[in-house]
Amino acid sequence: MVTGQTFVGLLPEIVVFLFSITVLMVGVFLPRTTGLTTGLAACGTLATFVVTVVLLAVRFEGNFFGNGYVVDDFALYFKLIVAVSAFFAVLAAARWSGETGDAPEYLNLILSVALGGMLLVSMRDLFGIFVAVELATIPSYAMVAFDRSRRESSEGGMKYLLTGMIASSILLYGIVLIYGAGGSANLGDLGQTFSGQLSPVALLGLVLLISGFAFKVSAAPFHFWTPDAYQGAPTSAAAFLSVAPKAAIFATLLRIFLEGMPEAATTWTVVLAMLAIMTMFVGNLLALRQRNVRRMLAYSSVAHSGYILAAFAALQGAGLQTAIQAVLIYSAAYLTMNMGAFLVIDLVGEEAKSYNGLFTTRPGVALSMFVFMAALVGIPPLSGFWGKAWIILAGVQSGSILVYVTVGALVVNSVLSVPYYFGIIRNMFFEEPVTGAEEPKGLGAAKFSVYALAAATTLFIFFIGPLAALVGASGLL
Amino acid sequence: MITTITIFLPLVGVLLMLLLRSADERTVRYTALGVAAAPLLLSLYVYFVHGGDLRGAPLLTQSFEWVSSLGIGYRVGLDGLGFGMFFLSALLTLIAVAASWDIRENLRQYFAILFVAEIGMLGVFAAQDLILFYVFFEITLIPMYLLVGVWGDENRRRAATRFFIYTFLGSTTMLAGFLALGILSGPEFSVVTLTEAGGTLSRAAQVAIAVPILLGLLIKVPAVPFHSWLLDVYVSSPTSTNVVLSGILPKLGTYGLIKIAVPLLPQGVEPFLPYVAIFGVINIIYGAFVAFMQPDLKALVAYSSIGTLGFILLGISSGNALGLNGAVMQQVTHGLYSALLFILVGIIAARAGTRRIDELGGLAARMPWAGGLLVLGALAAMGVPGLAVFVSEFMSIMGGFETFPVQGVLAALGIVLGAVYLLHMVRRVAFGPIERPALQEAGDAGPIEMAAIVPLVTLLVVLGVFPSLIVSVQRPAVEAVLAAIGGS
Repeated sequence: MVTGQTFVGLLPEIVVFLFSITVLMVGVFLPRTTGLTTGLAACGTLATFVVTVVLLAVRFEGNFFGNGYVVDDFALYFKLIVAVSAFFAVLAAARWSGETGDAPEYLNLILSVALGGMLLVSMRDLFGIFVAVELATIPSYAMVAFDRSRRESSEGGMKYLLTGMIASSILLYGIVLIYGAGGSANLGDLGQTFSGQLSPVALLGLVLLISGFAFKVSAAPFHFWTPDAYQGAPTSAAAFLSVAPKAAIFATLLRIFLEGMPEAATTWTVVLAMLAIMTMFVGNLLALRQRNVRRMLAYSSVAHSGYILAAFAALQGAGLQTAIQAVLIYSAAYLTMNMGAFLVIDLVGEEAKSYNGLFTTRPGVALSMFVFMAALVGIPPLSGFWGKAWIILAGVQSGSILVYVTVGALVVNSVLSVPYYFGIIRNMFFEEPVTGAEEPKGLGAAKFSVYALAAATTLFIFFIGPLAALVGASGLL
Repeated sequence: MITTITIFLPLVGVLLMLLLRSADERTVRYTALGVAAAPLLLSLYVYFVHGGDLRGAPLLTQSFEWVSSLGIGYRVGLDGLGFGMFFLSALLTLIAVAASWDIRENLRQYFAILFVAEIGMLGVFAAQDLILFYVFFEITLIPMYLLVGVWGDENRRRAATRFFIYTFLGSTTMLAGFLALGILSGPEFSVVTLTEAGGTLSRAAQVAIAVPILLGLLIKVPAVPFHSWLLDVYVSSPTSTNVVLSGILPKLGTYGLIKIAVPLLPQGVEPFLPYVAIFGVINIIYGAFVAFMQPDLKALVAYSSIGTLGFILLGISSGNALGLNGAVMQQVTHGLYSALLFILVGIIAARAGTRRIDELGGLAARMPWAGGLLVLGALAAMGVPGLAVFVSEFMSIMGGFETFPVQGVLAALGIVLGAVYLLHMVRRVAFGPIERPALQEAGDAGPIEMAAIVPLVTLLVVLGVFPSLIVSVQRPAVEAVLAAIGGS
């Protein structure tokens, strides 16, 4: 039954939807108004953020549409992450989309992905989840291919589209099998019927479901599209797509596993542990060979998916609570450091050489990039460290040998990742500046985003306490 | 509260350095000196007002729960184990600022980064929480990497990279051990609570946790098989970075052993103590032999500095009051003398234009102060009675001998070897004919340079004559450690 409560619960989504339509309409009826549309889109994400914060502050909770849609602290938290990353993506897109004159369309795509991600984290029904996943990914294909002036963009978009379609069908197949085996698509009902003893059909469904999601979060061996897509995509798209949809999908995975199949934990933790170990190694080893910063960051995002999956492997025993905290903390930390690193590419360039001597020529940007790289390695007290520390904590608490191995792999991989992240730092601080490298003009918004994200990465330590408290109150346990 | 203020006071320096954009070099230097003096004054205040009360339990604590479900908190406080190094961190940072005469480019950034490192150093020696300890431990790492990599000599890039990878590897393994320790004993990360509980874990668990922690700390020290990265770093660094690098950074490792590994995992560390003693002896003897063969004065000092860290390891492994007191004190005295020698090497190399020992000679005639103090520094490094290093080395060796006689005797032999290479160096550098034309008209150490040296020499002499000034502060804390491991 649709009541007033339903509208309140859907308020963040309604706001972002209205703004996305408005942006598009303004673009149609008032051409050549990039500034206006960008401002509108930024206001839209901010308004969404504010609404979500208010809902979180008044502790709004509720189940809607026959238990298929839930608003709880957990969902609201991830909506915040999506809204914040959309905000920075809009700012980063300002200059680039202004040049091509396609600002309204591009901004509309960003807001649509955000809408999909925000719906996704609230879904409690497997088919609803599928629809939301598609809503978040279909506009993202267009975003990747949006830069028509570069061939790589279309190439990356095409690859992304093809693999994404296959992934979606695998995901749907897995959902159908689970629906057949469990007798319901609703996670609450599924949790009652889905027992520890998995039938072959249910097991196949589970594996297909995980594979489909693995494509979406670019976990190895389903990561092949990532470097090409991120290299071809406009920077703002790469930055946004590597954070917001991923975080939403990790959130929904948590919900599926913990609400829908807690009894089968012994099975899916094993699968995810394997996936995590493989993803970490593949991402880091391939990133080591990259000279192009975009590709390097693409592989780095593969590696970081592996780290988050390691937290999923620890979702057992006494580690449950800490592992959920780890996913929440890591998602927010990843937003700050990864988005920042991608946005620096717009300011400096994508060749590793263009970072030479940045410390002397542009100390502010160099310092920010330094913070992002160090955070991605996991140096305290920067944001990335807390994510990794929480995963190790959860792993130790879980008390399972396989998880110990996974956590050990995480430690090894953190060290393995030092050379490529610090290669950039080395170029920025230790090398002589490139002559004639002029600072591009009109990057005020992007510069602001980079500085804001660098500040957030540095001061992340102050968010940890409230975050950990929030998990205790989240709707998952 | 005073502890927290002291730790984060250098932050003011960082901000000032970023703000003084258009100031001239003089202003920048004097501002940095002023900021660096503040933590030192505060720690002197702590010593003279509260010095008598620095018992086993930390004093001037401040703590609040941060993530209460996991027992993690911001907990700082000063005790006898950490206070000596806390003071030395503040002192050596001030001296590093004073000794930065060879830094010409990007001076503001240099000081800003140095102050970030100071926050980390002060924090490590005051942290009373495992996570916080690790955070401060790592905060020192990046600034040191940058100081070496940006302002070092032509080999700096390689040196800085190796430095970072090795120490990061070490500290990450250590972190895994810390987290396992904290989770399995509660979860509880307060060092004070864990020390009082005193090894509640089973013996097997303690051993399993002790392995990564010991490994990480020994890499940090570095104990000899893990030392290869350090020499490049020492040799490539500018003088003022050397002061902090050699004076404080290795002590993060040894302090971690005394403060955390030994009292928190008494049964886990016990089977490894003989090996720690062996590591110590290897450091002493290997360091002496390799130092003897160095043609480069700075490399000789570097190996000497690495070698005498072995006395700290030996003292820790002894597990008795004498050895532990020696180790805690040696941390401070080692910092004093290696900072002194590195500064003198910097002065001499700048005047002579070379660091090759066979090209130097007759320094004492042209530069009576610098040459004479080099002799004094060498004597201190040898452990000559009357200077502070003698007291701490003697206590470490006696303590070590009581528990491990063979290692103790070998370490004493190391003192003789040390005398050989140091006297050899002094004879060739300070005395004899002047071989280098550049040295003919070289002036002696100037007033600024002497200002950086004098406090170190003074402390070496004063602590040599009155060791109780420092031992009385650290003794109660050492007894608390002994109580935790159930020794005498």
